Amino acid sequence: MSDRVRGQAAKGRRLLAAVAAGAAIAAAAVLVVGTAGASNKAGCGTITLNEQAWAGSTANTYVVKAALEKYLGCKVKITQIAEIPVYQALANGKTDAVLEDWQHVDQYNQYIHQQHTVVMGGPNGVVGHIGWYIPTYLMKQHPEFKTWKGLKGKESLFKSPESGSQGMFLGGDPSYVQKDQQLIQALKLNFKFVSVGAEPAQVARWSSLYKQHKPVIFYWYTPQFLNTEFQLSEVQLPARFKGCVDDAKSGGDVKKYRCAYDKTIIEKVFSKKFANSGNPAFKALKRFNWSNADQEIVAKWIAGDHMNPDKAGQKWIAQNTAKVKKWFGKA
Amino acid sequence: MAVAEAAQRIPRALPAPWWRGRRGALVLVVLGMIVGYLGWKTEAPWPAWLTWNSLVPHLDHFQVWLSNNRNVPDPNIAFRIFNGFSNFLDQLVAWFISFFHKLTWAGTVVLGTLVVLRFGGRRAALGVLAAFASFALLGLWEESVETFSLVFAAVGLSLLVGLPVGVLAGRSWRFNKAITPVLDAMQIVPAFAYLMPVVILFSVGPGAAVVTTMIYAIPPAIRITGLGIRGVPGNTVEAATALGSTRRQVLTKVQLPLARRMLLLGVNQTILFALSMVVIAGLIGGQGLGDAVTNGLYTDPVMAIFAGAAIVIMAIALDRSTEAMANRTDPAHRHLTAAKSRRLRLYTAACAGTVLLTVLVAHLVGASAAWSRWTAQDWLRTYVQKALDYVQDPSTFLFQHITNPIGNFLVQHGITPLRNFFIEMPWPVTVAGLVLIAFLLSGLRPALVALAMLFVCGFVGEWPNSMGTFAQVLVATVLTVIVGFVFGVWAAESRRVARVLRPINDVLQTLPQLVYIIPFIYLMPVSGVPGIVAAVLYAAPVMIRLVQRGIEDVSPESIEAARSFGATRRQVLMKVKIPLARDAIMLGVNQAIIMVLAVVVIGGLVGSGDLGYDVVQGLQRNAFGLGVVASIAILALGIMLDRVTQGRVRARKQA
Repeated sequence: MSDRVRGQAAKGRRLLAAVAAGAAIAAAAVLVVGTAGASNKAGCGTITLNEQAWAGSTANTYVVKAALEKYLGCKVKITQIAEIPVYQALANGKTDAVLEDWQHVDQYNQYIHQQHTVVMGGPNGVVGHIGWYIPTYLMKQHPEFKTWKGLKGKESLFKSPESGSQGMFLGGDPSYVQKDQQLIQALKLNFKFVSVGAEPAQVARWSSLYKQHKPVIFYWYTPQFLNTEFQLSEVQLPARFKGCVDDAKSGGDVKKYRCAYDKTIIEKVFSKKFANSGNPAFKALKRFNWSNADQEIVAKWIAGDHMNPDKAGQKWIAQNTAKVKKWFGKA
Repeated sequence: MAVAEAAQRIPRALPAPWWRGRRGALVLVVLGMIVGYLGWKTEAPWPAWLTWNSLVPHLDHFQVWLSNNRNVPDPNIAFRIFNGFSNFLDQLVAWFISFFHKLTWAGTVVLGTLVVLRFGGRRAALGVLAAFASFALLGLWEESVETFSLVFAAVGLSLLVGLPVGVLAGRSWRFNKAITPVLDAMQIVPAFAYLMPVVILFSVGPGAAVVTTMIYAIPPAIRITGLGIRGVPGNTVEAATALGSTRRQVLTKVQLPLARRMLLLGVNQTILFALSMVVIAGLIGGQGLGDAVTNGLYTDPVMAIFAGAAIVIMAIALDRSTEAMANRTDPAHRHLTAAKSRRLRLYTAACAGTVLLTVLVAHLVGASAAWSRWTAQDWLRTYVQKALDYVQDPSTFLFQHITNPIGNFLVQHGITPLRNFFIEMPWPVTVAGLVLIAFLLSGLRPALVALAMLFVCGFVGEWPNSMGTFAQVLVATVLTVIVGFVFGVWAAESRRVARVLRPINDVLQTLPQLVYIIPFIYLMPVSGVPGIVAAVLYAAPVMIRLVQRGIEDVSPESIEAARSFGATRRQVLMKVKIPLARDAIMLGVNQAIIMVLAVVVIGGLVGSGDLGYDVVQGLQRNAFGLGVVASIAILALGIMLDRVTQGRVRARKQA
C-alpha cells in the first residue's frame, strides 16, 4: 500500500521534473528570441537568387549578390536548385531570379507563355558557344582537323577501349543541349559516340588524355574557366542553314542537324511575383549585364583558385565600379 | 541428435554427375541462348506492336497539366492542401534551424552531448562531441546544422507514419501482403523519377526535400516494425489473450514492449536511410551538405569530399548514439531503485541546467550562431588535394599499370560483350532463356513473374536499355558476390578482420556514392566501370554482413560434431559452415542485387548509360515521361531478380 503511494509520488515528482525542465528550456528559448534583435529593413528586403552547379553560374550569382548588398542594402539568399525544378520555384515565388539560363525553350513555353508565372529578364551579356574541341597540341600536329572534313578517314586515331575499331567521340553532360550522335551520322564520320556521364566525369576523361598528350575529340563549350587552364582548339563544323536545329530531343531526320551549333544567348529569368513587386532590386537585376571575359575571370577565382565566392564577388565589383554603377542606374 | 542432423545436412560424399540434374539443364539453356545470339544477332529487336509508344507523351502531358493547374492564382483545393503541407514542413525545418541558431554553436554542442551522455553513456557522448568538432574543423558547421534539421524532421515524420503502419502490417498478414509491393516500389524507383512531380505538388525547399526523403525512409520503418511485432512469440500473445487481455492491451503491454529492440533498430535504419537521400534532396532545395556535395563536384571536388565526410560522421554518430540509448534505456536491463532514480533525476536537471547556463553565457559573450571562428579546412585541403592530384595524374604507376588496365579489361572483355549479348539477342530467345533459368532456379511462380516483368520492360519501350542495364547489373552482382563472400567469410573467421571491416562498411554505406566515385572517374576512366565500382562498393557491405552473420550463426553443435570426426578448420568451414549458411548467403545475394539496382541512376551520372541515362535525362532535360518509363523498367528488373533469388531460397528449403 505505502509502496504504491510512494510509486505514485515518485511518478508525480518525475512529471514535475520533466515539466520544470521543459519550462526552463522554453524560458531560455523566449529569452534568446528576445535578445536576438530586430532584423534590419533597409531597401529591398530579402532577395533569393538561384545558383546552378557550374562555376559560371556561381560567378554571376555572387557578383550580383555583392552588388545588391553594397548598393541597395539587400539581404541576399542563395538557393541551389537544379535547372528544371527551379522553374517551379520561380512560379511559386520561392526563388526570385535565375541569372544564367541556357535557353530552356520548353520551360519558356510552359511557364512564361502559358502560365505567366515566370518572366524573361533579357540576356545577361554572356554568349555561350558549343562545339567540337580537340587539344591544341593535336591541332598543331594535324592542321587538317581545323574543319570536320579533315577528320574523315582519321577517326581511328581517337580509338578507345569502348569504341572498338572506331574512333571515340566523347559526348557532353547528358543534361546539356546536344546533337552529336546525329551530327556524326549526318557527316558520315566513323566515330562511336561515348558518354561518360555528367560534366565532372567528362572533364576527368578528356583532361586525363590531355595530360598524357593523347588524341581526344569532345563536346565542349565557352565560356568555361577550364579554358584558361587547358589549351583547346575548335573543329569547324558545317555552316548553319535555315531550319537547322541543335537539340536532338526534337527527333526527326539527321539532316536537319547537319550544321554547327548556334551561339547561345544566355538569359535571365525572374519570378513574376518578384517582377511585379516594385522592388528596386528588380530593375538592377534587369540591367545586370557583363561579358564572357568578366565571367571567366570570376569563375577562375572561385573554381580555379578556390577563393571564397563572396570575396570573389566583392573583389570584382570593387575593381569594376563603373560597370556595376550602370546596373543601378547611376552613370 | 544434433550430430545426426548435421550429418544429414552435410552434402553427400558422392553426388550425382552434374550434367544429370538442374545444372545440366541450366547449361543447356545458356548454350541455347548463345546459339540464338550467334545465329540471329540483331535480327529480332523488340517488336513495335508489343510497345506502348504513346505512354511517354501521355506522361509528359500529365506533368504539364499538373503544373498548369497548380500554378494558377486560385488553385484547386487539393493543391492548396499540398501547399499547406509543404509550407508546414518548410516552417518546421526553418524552426529547427533557427532553434539551433538561438542556442548558438556552444549551446548546440552542449545540448547534443549532454542528451547523449544522459541517455546513452559516456562513449556515445564522446562520439557526438567528436562529430561536432569535425563539423567545425571541416568548416561545414552551418551546412551540418541545416542537414541535421532536415533529417530530424524527415525521420520524425517517417516514424509517425511508419510505426503505426508497421504495427498494422505486423498484426495482419493480409495488410502486410498488400503493402509489400508498394514498399518495394518506394525503395527501388529512383528518386530522380519522382522529383519533378514532388516539386510541382510541394514546390521546392526544405518541405519538398523532406517529402522526398520520407518516400525513401518510410519503408524500412514499416518493414522492421512489422518484423518486430511478428517476432513476438505466438504463445506469449496467446497467454495474454487467455488471461483476458483485449487486442489493445496485447499490443501495448505485450507486443510493443517485447518488440522494443526491433522498433529501435527501425528508428536507427530510418535515420540512415534518410541521410542517404541528403544529396538528392539538395537538388530541390534541401540545402546543407547535399548542396555542398553537388556544387563541389563541379567546381571543387575537395569540398565535395569534405561534405561527404561530414555526412558519414553525422550518420555514424547518430547510429552509435541511438544504439547506445536503446541499450541504456532498455527496461529489461535496468533495475531502478528509488535512490537510483532520484539520482538520475538530479542528473537530468543538472544537464538541463548546464545547457541553459551555456546558452546564457554564450549570449552574454556574443557567441555566433554557427561556428566559423577558425577551421582546419585549408590545412586539410592541402592533404586531400595532394591525394586527388595523385589520383588525377595519369603518369603514376597505379594508373598506368593497375587501375587503367583493369578498367579497360572489364570494359573490353566483360561489360561490352555481355551488353551486346543481351541487347542483340533475338527477343524471343532472351525471354525464353531467362524465364527457363528462373524456372530451373526457383520454380513456376518466379518464372511467371520473370515473364511478366520482361514483358513490362519491352512494353514500355525500354527493351534495349533494360537489357543493357541487366548485363551491367549481372557484372556488378557477380563482383559484389565474390567480394562480399570472401570478406564475409573472412570476417566470420577472424575477429580482427571483423573489427577492421565494420567502420569501412559503415563509411561505404553512408558516404554519398557521388563522393566515393570521384577517385574512380580518374583511375578507371572508361564508361561503365565507375558505375560498376559504385554499385559494388555500395552493395558489398550488406553482403559481407549477411554472410558473416550466417556463418557465425551456424549452430555450435554441428561444428562440434564435425570436429569430433576429425575435420580440420578448413574442412569445417567448407563442408559445414558454408553449406549450413547457404540461406543467409542467398539472402545476401538477393539484397546485393536490390542495392546494385538502386545505384543504376548514379551509374547514369558517370557514364553507365542505358536505363540510368534515361532517368537522369528525365529530370535534367525535362523528359518526365522518359524518366518514369525507365524507372518502371528498373522496378520490373528489380522485382524479377528479387523474386527469382528469394524463390531460390524457398525452392532449396522444399527440396
